[in-house]
Amino acid sequence: MADIETLGIVDEIQVLVSDKLQVVSYKWLSRNFLVSSDSAKRLLQEFVEKHGDGLEVVYSLSGWMKDNPSTYHIRLVSTPNLAVLWQVVATIIKAQAANFYAEAKKEFSDDCSVQVYSVQACIPKDPVALWNAEFVQAEELFRQPLSVDNCLLDNRFCGVSNPFVQRNGGGTIPSTTTVPQVKSEALGLRKSNCTAQVQPEQKKVQLPSPSASESRGTSGPGEGSKLVADKHKVAQLPAAKKAVQSDKSSSKNGWSLANMWGRVPTKPKVDNVSASTSDATPNPAGLSLWLFGNAAQVCAPERVEDRISDDDDQQVNIRRTSNGEGNRKRRVIFDFSDEEDEFEDAVNLASPDPPKQKSIIGSKQTPSSPELENQEVKKVKEADSKSHEQERKPLSTSEPKKSEIISEHAGLKNATVKDEVAAAAPISPKRRKVLKTRIDERGREVTEVVWEGEDTETKADGNTMKKTDNNPANSTGDRPPITKKSPALGSTAPTNQAGKAGNKKAGTKDPKQGNILSFFKKA
Amino acid sequence: MLELRLVQGSLLKKVLESVKDLVNDANFDCSATGFSLQAMDSSHVALVALLLRSEGFEHYRCDRNISMGMNLGNMAKMLKCAGNDDIITIKADDGSDTVTFMFESPTQDKIADFEMKLMDIDSEHLGIPEAEYHAIVRMPSAEFCRICKDLSSIGDTVVISVTKEGVKFSTRGDIGTANIVCRQNTTVDKPEEATVIEMNEPVSLTFALRYLNSFTKASPLSNTVTISLSSELPVVVEYKIAEMGYVRFYLAPKIEEDEEETKP
Repeated sequence: MADIETLGIVDEIQVLVSDKLQVVSYKWLSRNFLVSSDSAKRLLQEFVEKHGDGLEVVYSLSGWMKDNPSTYHIRLVSTPNLAVLWQVVATIIKAQAANFYAEAKKEFSDDCSVQVYSVQACIPKDPVALWNAEFVQAEELFRQPLSVDNCLLDNRFCGVSNPFVQRNGGGTIPSTTTVPQVKSEALGLRKSNCTAQVQPEQKKVQLPSPSASESRGTSGPGEGSKLVADKHKVAQLPAAKKAVQSDKSSSKNGWSLANMWGRVPTKPKVDNVSASTSDATPNPAGLSLWLFGNAAQVCAPERVEDRISDDDDQQVNIRRTSNGEGNRKRRVIFDFSDEEDEFEDAVNLASPDPPKQKSIIGSKQTPSSPELENQEVKKVKEADSKSHEQERKPLSTSEPKKSEIISEHAGLKNATVKDEVAAAAPISPKRRKVLKTRIDERGREVTEVVWEGEDTETKADGNTMKKTDNNPANSTGDRPPITKKSPALGSTAPTNQAGKAGNKKAGTKDPKQGNILSFFKKA
Repeated sequence: MLELRLVQGSLLKKVLESVKDLVNDANFDCSATGFSLQAMDSSHVALVALLLRSEGFEHYRCDRNISMGMNLGNMAKMLKCAGNDDIITIKADDGSDTVTFMFESPTQDKIADFEMKLMDIDSEHLGIPEAEYHAIVRMPSAEFCRICKDLSSIGDTVVISVTKEGVKFSTRGDIGTANIVCRQNTTVDKPEEATVIEMNEPVSLTFALRYLNSFTKASPLSNTVTISLSSELPVVVEYKIAEMGYVRFYLAPKIEEDEEETKP
């Protein structure tokens, strides 16, 4: 079990680091997957040993300086030659600012510990970027209401316990013996130094499955795989995304001022300065406080309400591991919508839930529920205007008798289609939902629930998605929320459609007219 | 405390007349450098940038930077009450939600006070970078006004093409097509009647005549208009305000037809 779980995390780290270019520090890992920081460090070490090629690793060296044995130092160094990139010095006994830089190049005494601090695709130019992800995460966790149990609010992983804070994370930590022990003497050293430390990690941790993050996002368990990681990615990437959008709008307009000047990227709401300063500030309260991040310094609520969802989380995990581990695949969803205020362009590499057989069966049993009927009616209405699109789609020619419910943009739809559940006996002879899996043009697997039956002319397009998203029986419900923003609203539809929509809507709105906002950035 | 005294009050009247049709509400920003405004039209296709430098005022007092949200239609109504020769003084107290326009007749025998309510306007200030334009055309503002008016009776859009030969304005409509070519012409008696074309590379852009016609309402402000074109930028139509500043109109171009067709 533990093996599988940690393997899952290692894979997840791989995705985060190499695909999302995120800095994965042990703190972030610890909070995101609800593992103890020691486990997180070991996981990172394991990851570095297995997949470390081509990645940059930042180690944290901690120990006593040779020339100043009374001061305990922690320093972050990068991979290649352990050159000193940044130094962050926390002192327990004495903090003398003058010492910090003078001692930068001196050696630690022999018994220093080396631990992986973070793994990233490249060393960020600005050291603050190292803390970005975890700081955003900490902010987010603290912003959650007190009733939500999260690892920061109940101080779960902090080395310093506080009688006023009840720690009630219920799970048990998986055995870490399968993970190679890294520098255990170093850990011992640290602990011996901070005698006040208890070992909360050993009891407070839930199953560290990748899916554990589900329960911790602000979305709550019900919303499916809205990974916390996604939020971070979104927070970190707006600049890049904006640029992409500019390109897009330019391709649509033929060209655009945005190519020249672009728009001011939305700044991530990360107070980098405060993050770094609070981290760098010597904290007389104890090394472990510092170690566990500035977040731990924020006063935890005196009492967190009893956790109810613990069991649920575990059930979720168990279910997923039992029926989902085998066929979990990464899915990338591209969206070419032109809506400006969305992050829809971000590539989502979240691990989706496996297709849920149960939900399909359930939907078959209620094909004539008012909600679904409604939906059908709406789609029929749309059908006329979509005739152009139909002709383009190989889907519609090969299977004329169905309507699709999809979450992808229509443009992605071509390529092979295979029926997974087509053989399933339909309860309603007229109409039924069918789960289709196909490989899109980019080689990714796309699973979608489609209607198969009498109401055929109703074709899917981007617009249907919005309505179908509300359908709980739809597999799109399990997808990350980004896809919900994908409906093509006129502008993304093929040109002839866009023109039509524009004419219908206002008449004054000229689709060819450029927008001044695409040329001038906001000051 | 804000107090701006403008001897040539008609300037302000003309400025308002030129802008009010394009923009309904806008923030006037007052700083030590001057009295300025930047606003987009409601469809975010055009942008107006106005600057009246402090040196152009007879008296300019602006203790701190202040932004006053005004309905330009209402402001124009009030300024219409000023005579063309009147001296206009704009006054506002710190923290006040009103602005006062004072009109003094040249002979000082009539003084009028108009107090207008200010409004909170959520506006985004856009950064407009300095850019090198591919072609800059300076021509009489009346000529440009005439061209835009004439072409708008034929079609909705105008293609402005600048080549070595000159600047060509062409349109196409249901009834037919129209082309107007203005050649470079510097051999005129009055410099303001010259047509000067500075071209680094040929440019051809399409614009909605509706907006250009709106811009030409600023023609009374200046005898000449400067049209700056670049193939990747909005056109800038600038009317200089003598010794004071400028009104600049930026207009995003329309997408070329042929590019449209190449799209999927």
